[in-house]
Amino acid sequence: MTEIGTAAAERSVSSTPPAAAPAPAKPERTRRPAGRVQSSLGVSLLAVPALLYLIVFHYLPMAGLVVAFKEFDISQGIFGSPWSGLDNFRYFFSSGDAGRILLNTIFLNVLFLAATLAAGVTLALMLNEIRGRFFKRIAQSAVFFPYFVSPIVISIILQVLLAGVGGSGGLVNDALLGLGLPQVSWYTEPGPWPWILTFVKVWQLGGYMSVIFLAAITSIPEEVYEAGAIDGASRAQLAWRVTLPMLRPTAAILLVLGVGRIFYGDFGTIYAIVGDNGTLFPSTDVIDTYVFRSLRQLGDFGTTAAVGLFQSVVGFVLVTIAVLIQRRYSKENSIL
Amino acid sequence: MSTDIRRRRAPLEPFTVVSIIGVSLFMLISIAPLWLILSGSFTAESKLSETGYSLFPHPFSLDAYRTILAGPTVVDAYIASGFITIVGTALALACTSGLAWVIARRLPMISRPLAVLTYLPMLFTGGLVPLYLLVTQYLHLANSWFAVILPLLVAPFLVFIQVGAFRQLPESVLESARIDGASELRIFWRIGLPLSKPILAVVGLFYAVNFWNEWFTALLFISDIDKFPLPLLLQNLIANVSASTMLPTSGQAVPVYQLRLALTVVTIGPILLAYPFAQRYFVKGITLGATKG
Amino acid sequence: MPISRRNLLAAGGGLSVAAFLAACGDSSDSAAKADKLTVLLPGNTPTGFADVLAKVNTKLKADRGFTIDPQFIAWTNYGNQTLLKFTAGEKFDTALQARWLNMIQLVASKSVAPVNDLLAGGKYPNLSKTLDSRLIENNKWSGTLYGIPQVNSAARLQHFVIRQDLADKVGVSTIADYATLEKFWYDVKQKVPGVTPMGLNSNMTNLIVVPNPIGLLNPWTWENPHTITQSFSGNSMYFAFAADAATTKASRPIPFWDIPGMVDALRTVRKYYLDGIINKDALNVDADTQKSLFGNGKQATAWAMTDGTSSSFYGPLLQKSTPGAALANVIPLTGGKASKPSQTFQAENFVVLNAKGASNDKAMQLEDWLSIRENHDLLSYGIEGRDWNPVGDDTLEQLTDYNFPGFALSWRASLERKSKLISETEADWFAWAGDYDNFTTDTFAGFIPDVTPVKREDAQMAAAFTQYANPLFFGAVDVDKGLDKLKAAIDNAGLAKVQAELEKQADAYLKAK
Repeated sequence: MTEIGTAAAERSVSSTPPAAAPAPAKPERTRRPAGRVQSSLGVSLLAVPALLYLIVFHYLPMAGLVVAFKEFDISQGIFGSPWSGLDNFRYFFSSGDAGRILLNTIFLNVLFLAATLAAGVTLALMLNEIRGRFFKRIAQSAVFFPYFVSPIVISIILQVLLAGVGGSGGLVNDALLGLGLPQVSWYTEPGPWPWILTFVKVWQLGGYMSVIFLAAITSIPEEVYEAGAIDGASRAQLAWRVTLPMLRPTAAILLVLGVGRIFYGDFGTIYAIVGDNGTLFPSTDVIDTYVFRSLRQLGDFGTTAAVGLFQSVVGFVLVTIAVLIQRRYSKENSIL
Repeated sequence: MSTDIRRRRAPLEPFTVVSIIGVSLFMLISIAPLWLILSGSFTAESKLSETGYSLFPHPFSLDAYRTILAGPTVVDAYIASGFITIVGTALALACTSGLAWVIARRLPMISRPLAVLTYLPMLFTGGLVPLYLLVTQYLHLANSWFAVILPLLVAPFLVFIQVGAFRQLPESVLESARIDGASELRIFWRIGLPLSKPILAVVGLFYAVNFWNEWFTALLFISDIDKFPLPLLLQNLIANVSASTMLPTSGQAVPVYQLRLALTVVTIGPILLAYPFAQRYFVKGITLGATKG
Repeated sequence: MPISRRNLLAAGGGLSVAAFLAACGDSSDSAAKADKLTVLLPGNTPTGFADVLAKVNTKLKADRGFTIDPQFIAWTNYGNQTLLKFTAGEKFDTALQARWLNMIQLVASKSVAPVNDLLAGGKYPNLSKTLDSRLIENNKWSGTLYGIPQVNSAARLQHFVIRQDLADKVGVSTIADYATLEKFWYDVKQKVPGVTPMGLNSNMTNLIVVPNPIGLLNPWTWENPHTITQSFSGNSMYFAFAADAATTKASRPIPFWDIPGMVDALRTVRKYYLDGIINKDALNVDADTQKSLFGNGKQATAWAMTDGTSSSFYGPLLQKSTPGAALANVIPLTGGKASKPSQTFQAENFVVLNAKGASNDKAMQLEDWLSIRENHDLLSYGIEGRDWNPVGDDTLEQLTDYNFPGFALSWRASLERKSKLISETEADWFAWAGDYDNFTTDTFAGFIPDVTPVKREDAQMAAAFTQYANPLFFGAVDVDKGLDKLKAAIDNAGLAKVQAELEKQADAYLKAK
């Protein structure tokens, strides 16, 4: 019974993305080559404002990357400072902690990425099931709200939950006590923190991600569902077989974009929550917090830029690999 | 008729029940802190400093809001943030959708290089110093709201979200327009954009939130307090004497716990009020009518 | 429709083109106007500042022929922002700088103008009159003064502000030594529920035990206030020099953990942590929150500095939250006021002149003008009668919230007025701290180490120090295990090299002295 439904879904899946339907495009291209070229130039004009913008505000300042190879001197500025070769790069790698920090960065980012994507998709699917207009609206606003809460306020709330005022215990410990479980000194125990931080990220971004996926769901053509429904599939089957596959392109984009930033620690959130609490560093110290901590006094733009450049280059390599894999296995979803 | 199909099923399907429970749970986790923040912002500091939170605003106190309103030019700050958000979002949407459309069309020799050009700034940045020099010494935008808008104008992340959505548009509709002799620009304006309202609403919302919350570029480029956007002004309100313990502890005594919570309320309020308007576009199948009409 | 499309393109395109054209423009018009000095200040614009500034500028214009344009930069970004402005070659005139900001790099790159020649010329008599010769002498870096030191007393000694009413309640009314103070804490812990005996916050780190010359909870330093530690940069690894360095001319620096009493002090703090004498969340609680807790009567003791501001800061807060609360400042030096603690007399804050500023002379004139009582009081305290009223020669009563960051422009030890709200004990200690003769000048008073040769090692040490030393300082980890880890990490980061470099530089300083 579901065979027809899936087939119908697949049909429309493959017919929606333009590149997946090369058959009608090709004859047209050969039919009117001149018009096509002209109009592709015409349509390219649309990108001109953004392109000029990118050049002025992003590519021109990239000249500043040279400071990574310089011995930075305040009065001589970026371009006047003397060259120092790869000296600035040595600082991070000669640190005995480099290995652990790299591992932390990747581990936390993978956790964050996987958890927020999963939460976003699940939440979007569930929200899509809800039919009461009023409840749906309220729910959507409610789950989006955490995105606005600043990391400082998050850190205050966490302290109330996990430490209490003056370290008196906190709500969670009170609950543990009530259940007859041993109390935990959360702020000196590094073990649980990757999970606590992941929970915070899901809380922060689950709603945000779900909005992206919901928008994708709303553009799924109704016929797809009609076919499935006639077929007698349950709501869960529709969600699993019809909606979920349609979210793949969006998820793929978010995934590839996330992979590129896997070497960037989430400084804003982690620093606001962990701060300079050394006891939690074994599991929470990432590249960005480490660099901030060791260089805040020196104000050395050169070394900071060197670490940043390293992160960018590694990110670039990873993204290239991700895109190549994507092109190979699902060409129509490739973004680059 | 089409929407009926989604509704027609029996109301007690297990997945629907699971969904209602799941969403309710997530909702609860999301807004429980909102209640703590809201209630705390109206609770006297003496109570907050005992427990750190308060479930009911008792003893009731308006101290924090009074401090905020007594601060300089809160109204000006709302105007500044309003300008930055509205103008910024409009410009950002214009640039983003134009760029996203061209990338989404997969034009030979154009789309892929453009995509790469758009993506690279997500990885490589020249750092603060060049940006600072560019804005203050070459563009002379210090103390202008455009100095807050421009550095954030095109977010590669959102461009790609939009590219993805544009690529999901039914090719058949675009093709038939082409056969009718419509120019590519006309197709973009007449078909592409209207069909993509949900994603435009989402991307617009995300841009608006970014602009509304932005304080760092404002901190860098705006020194005239009359032009401070809201987040910067509010941040300044907590006299951050704690930057170093070496400093004298002089400073007006503000209710620290309460103030932080009240600041959150003041900043979030307007965006939460604006949210339902954006939401309108992606809650129910807007695309549907458009495709068929 | 076509019109809208064109508009859309014009809006986006026009903007970018404008931006692009502007990018090609020249940058010459940023030259500062010479009759308006740009002054960088930290923090918020004080309430009612516009009126004060108008008065200041009218008078300044009449007296010296120029005006000022103060720019307030939020604390959260002050360090970064000023560094950016120096790097971008902006032409502002003065800024607050300090070792804990970026003064060392600025001096090294000659971004700030030396002021000793300007001062020596005798052109600024009012300013010279307010600067004690010992202040100038000890704030020279390798013989050069790089800014006007901003101090409101001779010496700065960290200590405690306590709730005197609680001390009376538990029966230890007079606290003159550390043992009594400790007894006070344990009594409070026992007899006053809901109050933490001593409040710490995450900014305090090394202040808690590392002597400078006092480590707050380090009993040994209250008995021997003569060790001043040194580090290459901010919160990085600290070293102590040999006590007899002045006579032997050999500095022989040792890591801070080898200072006598240090390990005991760490154990003491650990005990406080386990006994609930100090707050357990100190590693994560920020200064504002902790101060607010003391102000709301939830802590019996807080950190204080001899700058005469703790009673006026906490007094009004406590009055509101805890009726009957009274404050006292406690400095439990074993020898009391006669113990002559060591001091480097180095100012925490300097007003520096931008080497690229329009006129360093005018900037000095401003500092000179602010050294005249009437002008000083106007900018520092606001409009007399509206913002404050004088009480005698050296005291004031504040009427409004006007709160100018005087330490960033106009602190002059001899002109500062103390608040009417100052407690008796604080006034007493503040007066004591105002006299240079109550202190011993440290052997290494004018020594500022140059971090350049060991930059990389120092950065790594700073990271290791935060990770392993902070938890020790707050008593959050076992002392023996924690110390082993710290030593291993610091060793790994290049202790030997850094120590040798410090010794080399310090010996050179001794030789030159």
